[in-house]
Amino acid sequence: MATTRRRFVQGSVAAATFMAAPAIGRASETPAAAKTLKAVMQGDLRSLDPIWTTANISSYHGALIYDTLFGVDANDKPQPQMVESFGTSDDQLTWTFKLRDGLGFHDGSPVTAADCVASIRRWAVRDGAGQHMFLRVKDIGAKDDKTFAITFSEPYPLILDAFAKAGTPVLYIMRKKDAETDPMQQITEHVGSGPFIFNTNETKQGAFYVYDRNAKYRPRSEPASGMAGGKIAKLDRVIWENVADDQTAIAALQNGEIDFYELPPIDLIDQLEADKNIHVEVLNKSGQIVWCRMNWLYPPFNNVKARQAMLYLVNQNDVMKAAFGNPKYYRACASYFGCGTPMENDENTEWFKEAPNKEKAAQLFKESGYDGRPIVILQPTNFAVFNTADQLLAQWLREIGVNAELAASDWGGVVTRRANREPPEKGGWNIFVTSASGAAFGNPITLVGHQANGEKGWFGWPSDETHEKLRDKWAKAQPQDRLAVAKEIQRNAWNFVPHVYMGLYLQPAAMRANVKGVIGMPELIPFWNIEKT
Amino acid sequence: MSEASAFSARELAATASVGPSRRHFVRRHPSLVAGAAILAIFVALALAAPYLPGDPLTMTPARRLSPPGSGFLLGTDALGRDVLARTIHGARVSLLVGFSVAAFSVLVGLAIGLFAGSIRKADAPLMRLMDALMAIPAILLAIALVSLTRASVTTVVIAITIPEVPRVVRLVRSVVLGVREQPFVEAAIAGGARLPKIILRHILPSTIPPLIVQATYICASAILVEASLSFLGAGSPPEIPSWGNMIASSRLYLARAPWTIFAPGIALALVVLAVNLVGDGLRDRLDPRLARRM
Amino acid sequence: MIAYVARRLASLVVVMALVGVCVFLLLHLAPGDPAAIIAGDNATPEQIAGIRTKLGLDEALPIQFLRWSTSVLSGDLGVSIFSNTPVTTLIGQRLEPTLSLALATLAFAVPVALVLGVLAAWRAGSSIDRASMIVAVTGFSAPAFVVGYLMIYVFAVTLRWFPVQGYTPFGENIADWARHLVLPALTLGLAYVALIARITRATMLEVLAEDYIRTAKAKGVATGPMLLKHALKNAGVPIITVIGIGVALLIGGVVITETVYNLPGVGRLVVDAISKRDYPIIQGVILVFSAVYVVINLVVDLSYTLIDPRIRY
Repeated sequence: MATTRRRFVQGSVAAATFMAAPAIGRASETPAAAKTLKAVMQGDLRSLDPIWTTANISSYHGALIYDTLFGVDANDKPQPQMVESFGTSDDQLTWTFKLRDGLGFHDGSPVTAADCVASIRRWAVRDGAGQHMFLRVKDIGAKDDKTFAITFSEPYPLILDAFAKAGTPVLYIMRKKDAETDPMQQITEHVGSGPFIFNTNETKQGAFYVYDRNAKYRPRSEPASGMAGGKIAKLDRVIWENVADDQTAIAALQNGEIDFYELPPIDLIDQLEADKNIHVEVLNKSGQIVWCRMNWLYPPFNNVKARQAMLYLVNQNDVMKAAFGNPKYYRACASYFGCGTPMENDENTEWFKEAPNKEKAAQLFKESGYDGRPIVILQPTNFAVFNTADQLLAQWLREIGVNAELAASDWGGVVTRRANREPPEKGGWNIFVTSASGAAFGNPITLVGHQANGEKGWFGWPSDETHEKLRDKWAKAQPQDRLAVAKEIQRNAWNFVPHVYMGLYLQPAAMRANVKGVIGMPELIPFWNIEKT
Repeated sequence: MSEASAFSARELAATASVGPSRRHFVRRHPSLVAGAAILAIFVALALAAPYLPGDPLTMTPARRLSPPGSGFLLGTDALGRDVLARTIHGARVSLLVGFSVAAFSVLVGLAIGLFAGSIRKADAPLMRLMDALMAIPAILLAIALVSLTRASVTTVVIAITIPEVPRVVRLVRSVVLGVREQPFVEAAIAGGARLPKIILRHILPSTIPPLIVQATYICASAILVEASLSFLGAGSPPEIPSWGNMIASSRLYLARAPWTIFAPGIALALVVLAVNLVGDGLRDRLDPRLARRM
Repeated sequence: MIAYVARRLASLVVVMALVGVCVFLLLHLAPGDPAAIIAGDNATPEQIAGIRTKLGLDEALPIQFLRWSTSVLSGDLGVSIFSNTPVTTLIGQRLEPTLSLALATLAFAVPVALVLGVLAAWRAGSSIDRASMIVAVTGFSAPAFVVGYLMIYVFAVTLRWFPVQGYTPFGENIADWARHLVLPALTLGLAYVALIARITRATMLEVLAEDYIRTAKAKGVATGPMLLKHALKNAGVPIITVIGIGVALLIGGVVITETVYNLPGVGRLVVDAISKRDYPIIQGVILVFSAVYVVINLVVDLSYTLIDPRIRY
C-alpha cells in the first residue's frame, strides 16, 4: 500500500456524496469488456473536486467529466474548446467570449455564460495563475446566455494560457450551483458537460471509480490534440481500479486483468517490454522534476552560501540512477525552467558543469558560518523516489561534515511538518524533497514553488524582491519576449538559489498492446480518443 | 529452505556436543538445542556486526543491483548497498526489536498483572482497560502509532509492545489467582505476612516459567510484525537496515534481483523459527503442564 | 446464565467506551494535518489554513470529542473528512470482501488445522507429527506478504489457475467470487493453520491420555470414530478458545492480505485512511473491529456451555 513507488499523488483525498447525487450515471447494462478500459492510475482519487485540491488525479477525473473553455494542444498552444469565438477590445482591456452551440450538462441543462463566470471565479481563488490574473480584473460578467466578458485594469496577455493550462487546478466548467460552493469546501455533486459521465451508483470510493460515455456530447470537428480538438469517447466505460501495490498491479497487467497502468516502476519496464502483450510509452514528455526545498527561515539555509553549496553538492545523475536505474528514462537538468520547456535556457548554469564538487560545497558551507548544528531532512517512507533522494542527500552532507539528520515519517507526516515554521529542533525542518511535472516549471506564474514572496509563499519561504519583479515582468511580456525575461529570472535565481533540482525523469506508462490512441501530455491523461482494438 | 537449515543446525548442534549427559540433553530437547544454536549464531553476528568488514549504509548508485559474487558476496540492493552487510546489521535491529518488545511487554504486563491479581479494587478497572486494548486490532494500533508519530525504532518497539501487554497481564493474573488459593499462600496470609512479601516470595516465582515461554512467542511475533509494518510503510526508518525494511523495499525485485529479498527473508524466517523452537523447548522443560495445555 | 450474560454485556459497554477514548486520544494528540494532505502539493499555506478552518479541525479537542461521541452513541460514525461520505456507508461498501475473506479463511484453515493437529497427536513422535509441526512452525515464521507474492507468482502469473487480484461480489458471479478468494484465503490461513494445529495437537495429547479414552480403546472402539467422537469433542473447549483469539489474528492479517491481493475491504479502507489522516474513518473502523472482536469472544465464551455441558455460568 503506502509503499508504492513514485505514486506521487499530490496531496489529496476522497469526495462525493453518493446519496445526494442524482441518478445521472444510469447505465442500465454493463458495457462489453471490449469497450471497457480498466486502468490503474497514480493513486486513489481521494477528492472528486478538481478545484478544491491540486492533486493531479483529481484533475484527470475533471478532464473525464468536465469540459474546458480552452485547452492546450500538443504544442502547448491554447486552442478554443467550449468557446466558439473570442476577441479583445481595441485597448486590449476587455475580452469577450462566445460559447459554441450544443453544450449541455449531464443532467440535461444547457451550459450558459453564467456557469462559466461562476466557475472562473471559484477557480481563480484556488489557482496561482487565476489569482495573478484576478489582481488585474476589474469586471467579469455574462452578457447573454452564450457570451461573457472580462475587463482588466491593464492588458493581460496571459489570459488564454491561464484558461487553457493543463496544470492543476485546471479551469473546468461546472454548473453555476456547484461553482458557487465555497472554494475552501468541496462540491457535493459531480455533474459536468464533458465526454464521460461519472457513474456514482457503481463507483465504490477508495476501491474503483466508474465513468460512462456521454452519448450526447458534441465534440469539436478538429482532430484531438492534447486538451484541444474533438474529444471523442471511443470507449463505453472507463474504470479506475485503486490497486495499491505495484507488484500486484504489474502481475494484473501481465495477466490482462487491467488494460492500463499509469506509473509502473521504471526498474520493471524491461520486464514489461519483454512481454509482447504489453506496450510501454512515455506520455509526459516534459518529465517529472525532483526538487529539494530548503528552509529560508533558519540557519544554515537563511544564508545564500549554504544554498549555493547545495547546487554543488547534488549529483543529479546519482539520484536518478539510484531511483530509476535505466538512463533511458532520466537526465540531469540545469535550467530553472525545467528541461524541454519553451523557457529552458542555460543562463548562469556554470555550477552545473562543475557539480558535483564536494570540496566547493564544503567550502561554501564553511563560508556560510555553518556551526555543526543538525540539518533536519524530512523523509517520506512511502515514496521511494523521495526516500532515495533524501538518503543520498544525507550521505553527501555527512561526507562534507554537515550533520544531516533524517526525520522519517509517511508522506502525510511530511506535508504536515513542512508547514511548520518553528525552528528545526522544535518540530520544524531544513530540507524536504518533492516533485512536479517538468512542464509546470516552465511557467513562473502557475507553479507556486516559483514564488519568492517570503512567508506568504510556498514551503521553504524564499524571499527575493528582484525575483518577484521579474515574474511580474514576465507575465506582462508579449509571448515572443518571454524567453528574454526568463533568462533574467534564471540569472538571478541561480544566484539566490530558491531551491535545487535533483534530476528529471520520464515516467513511462504501460498498457496492453491493444490499447491505442492514448493522448500523452504533461500533467493530464485524458481518456477520450483511447480505443481497444 | 528454512526447515532444511533448521535440521542441519540441529545435527550440527548434536554432533558438536560431547559427553554423555550433554548428548542426553540434546536428544531429550532437540528443538530447544537447535533453536538456541541458530539464535546464538545470529546474536553473535549481531554483536560482531560493527567489527566485521562491510558497510551497510553507503549507497553507490553505479553498482546497484549487482548479483551475488560480483565483489559482494550477497550482491547489492537497489541503492547499491551491500546486502550481506545489511543482513548482518539487520540482525541487530530485528533482534533488538524482538528482545525489547518481549522484555518490555513482560515487565509491564507482570507489574500490572500482579497488581490486578493482588489488589481486588484495582482488578476490574485494569482488566477492562486491558480488554479494551486487546480489542483494538494490534496491527492497526501499531500502524496508527508509527504513522501518526515519527518513525523510529523506539516508536516501532512501543507500538508493538502496547498490544502485547494485555495478553501478558491476563496470563499473570490467572496465575496469581490460581496461586492465591493454594494452601501455602492462604497459610501465609493467615499467618499475617504482608502483601509485598507474599507476592515476592510465593506468587512471583510461579509466574516466571509461563512468562518465559510467553516471552519467546512475543519475541517471534514482534520480529514478524516489524516486517509487516515495514511492508505497510510504517516500520523502522528506511535508513536503518532491518530485515523487514530490506524485504519491503526490495519486493519489486523479487524476479529481477531475488537476492535482495532472499537474504533478509531467509534470515528472518530462520530467526523466527529458532525463537519458536526455543519457546517450544522451554515450554516442554519448564512447565510440562503448560506444555499440555498450550 | 442470564445474570452472567447481563454482566458480560455491561462490561462490553465499558470496554467499548474505553476503546473509543483511547482511539480518539491516539489520533488527535499525534501530529498530522488532514488539510495539508487534502490541499495537494501546489497549494499555498494560506489555502491550507482556509481548508482546515472549514473542516472544523481548529476546534478544541474536548468539543471535537463530545461531538464525535454523541453522534457515535446515536449510531452515526461521522462523515469522512475528505469525501463527505458517511463512514457507515463507506464501511458498508467494504464489508462484503472482508467478510468473504474471513469466512473463506476459516473454512479452509479450521478443518485443515484440525486434521493436522489430530493426526499429529494420534501418531505423536512419528514423522507425520514432525512434518505437521514443521508446517505449523513455518506458517508462523513467514511474513504474510512474502507468502502472498510467492503464491501470486506461482499460481496466478505462472500457472494462471487463479486471478492475481481483485474481487467479484458474491451476488454477481459465485464462481468468480470463489476464484478470487482462493489465494488470499490460503495466504491468510497459513498462520491460522499453524496456530490451531499446534493447540489441537497439545489438547488432543492431553485428552488421549485420559482414562476414558484408554477404556474406549480397550473396549475395542475403532480408531477413527473413537478419535473423532470422544477426543475431539472433549478437546473442543480449548480449540474454540483459540479460534476466538484467532479472530484478532484474522483481523490483523486481513489488512495485509487485502493490500497484496487488492481486495476492496475494510482493512484497505482503514490503512488508506491512516495515511491520509481521515480521523472519522480510522475511529469508525477501529470501533467496528473492536466490537466484532468483543462480541465474538462473548459468543465463544457462551458456546462453551453448548459444547461442554459441564461448564455452567
